[in-house]
Amino acid sequence: MKEIVTIGLPSKGRLKESTVKLLKKNNLKLISKGGDRDYFASLNNLPNARVIYLHAREIIERLGDGTLDIGISGLDLLYESAINLQKRIKVMKKLDFGKADLVVAVPNDWIDVQTVADLEEVSFHFRDKKNSRLRVATKYPNLTNKFFTSKGVTQYKIIISLGATEIYPFTGSSEIITDIASTGSTLKANNLRILKNGSILKTQACILASKESLSDIKKRQIVKLF
Amino acid sequence: MKSKNYSKKISEVFKKGGFVFSKPDVLLDSNYIIQRSGESFKKLMLTFEDDSGKSMCLRPDLTVASCVKYLEDNFKGTSKIYYSGQAYRRSNNSKDSIINDQVGLEIIGSKKKTSDDKEVINIILKSINKIKIKNVIVNVGDVSLFRQLIDSLKIPERWKLRLTRHFWRPKYFEDLLSILETNSDIDSITVDFDKKRFSEMKKLNQNQEIAGRKICEILSRFDKKIRDPRSFAEGKKTAKIIKEFLKISCPIDQMDKYLEKFFKKYNIKKNLIKNELPIKSLLRSNYKIIFSTNFGRDIEYYTGMVFEVLSKKNKREIARGGRYDDLLKSLGSKQNISAVGAAINLKNL
Repeated sequence: MKEIVTIGLPSKGRLKESTVKLLKKNNLKLISKGGDRDYFASLNNLPNARVIYLHAREIIERLGDGTLDIGISGLDLLYESAINLQKRIKVMKKLDFGKADLVVAVPNDWIDVQTVADLEEVSFHFRDKKNSRLRVATKYPNLTNKFFTSKGVTQYKIIISLGATEIYPFTGSSEIITDIASTGSTLKANNLRILKNGSILKTQACILASKESLSDIKKRQIVKLF
Repeated sequence: MKSKNYSKKISEVFKKGGFVFSKPDVLLDSNYIIQRSGESFKKLMLTFEDDSGKSMCLRPDLTVASCVKYLEDNFKGTSKIYYSGQAYRRSNNSKDSIINDQVGLEIIGSKKKTSDDKEVINIILKSINKIKIKNVIVNVGDVSLFRQLIDSLKIPERWKLRLTRHFWRPKYFEDLLSILETNSDIDSITVDFDKKRFSEMKKLNQNQEIAGRKICEILSRFDKKIRDPRSFAEGKKTAKIIKEFLKISCPIDQMDKYLEKFFKKYNIKKNLIKNELPIKSLLRSNYKIIFSTNFGRDIEYYTGMVFEVLSKKNKREIARGGRYDDLLKSLGSKQNISAVGAAINLKNL
């Protein structure tokens, strides 16, 4: 079992589709005995490799605890993860898919708020005049905190979102959001706009490897096949 | 043992100066601190949730804990207190200790600001002398000088507030100056588009809320921004003045000379230094004292005089203090309560 290389691949969505295409291009065909619902797979010409389909966030966690040797996931999820996990993972290659921006978005009709500096002012208004903190809904609390701190915004409160973050400002759950946008059309459709200097991170899919696994020559060679 | 002896000797000096022993709470409601210092400060605090789900923290600072106690005790009038205890906070620098043993004093609620400032500086220097620590450097500054300088400049009110609010975040402050210099925050295309929306929104119910803000609130701020544009040339000049001001650093006896030269160069109202600055009382001191306009920018709550005492040998901080007139209000007081204080860091003695 020790010789088996465990590879984590995204289990759904566009990230999965692009990953399958990438493997095909590199002559690596995925074989699942149990069909589409099987969470395990193997690769046709890599008998020592075992593939597990996981949520992209889970791939980062499992690379960090050593369950996976190699994985494909987003840069955003890596940088959002705990610092001790990040220290155990190496970005091997940035891929040409999964490209998007993590951005700060405010309601369209907040016409007085164009920049993060405006937002900072409005957040003080919330504190001083409404005795509350500006609420920011996000799936990325760590990256959001880091960004706001670097831009001098301190008077806010993070609201953890698990999905459909775009609707939070209009359901009374938050005032603004930070979220992933690839074309910006979902934000636009939900009456939100990106702040002028509100780009938190440019992200894309990456081949990641556990640093511990990289000390094994055989595993290192497999990384090169991607 | 050594620090216990120091603590005893320093406490005696404080007691002789009329200060009364106080025991600020070790556990504080985290919201007190986060409400004031913001979400980013949360990661530096040692927090936990109590049985009711309320977030509590170990006091990150004895000054804040003393102010919370002052408010909770519903104290009226002047309180002259001293304390000896530990403060608990993580630091961005991994070499710093989480637990800090401190002996400190605070004057809260007094109206004699200038004499209180002098008293705090002098009593700290006297305490350090009492425990026979001689080779020290004293750095001093006065944050209010910066506020007065900003007031005298020709920039929109919102920019004055912005620069004052972020004075204590040097890195972000630099970014703000560069925005001011280059006007990179102004996007005329977006502004034109928003002007159209402004006219449309004027016709809507002004009390209607959009994500927690009333339409009238949004329009009023937008209107203010449009009516109060900053001059492109003036932005560049302002940034230059501020940068140069923050470079002033000299022995305390040269302070007036340096400031006057600066004000003359930029034709700024000289009354900034006509007010008696409490730090001038240090002119008669035997210590090596350096005045710097850039000093005191690492602690958010200082509003006036700031000082630190460093060991000449290893440059470690022995004591630090200053005036913090806005802190009690940000902790929930309905009125402004003036306050000044300082603490000696026993670990660095």
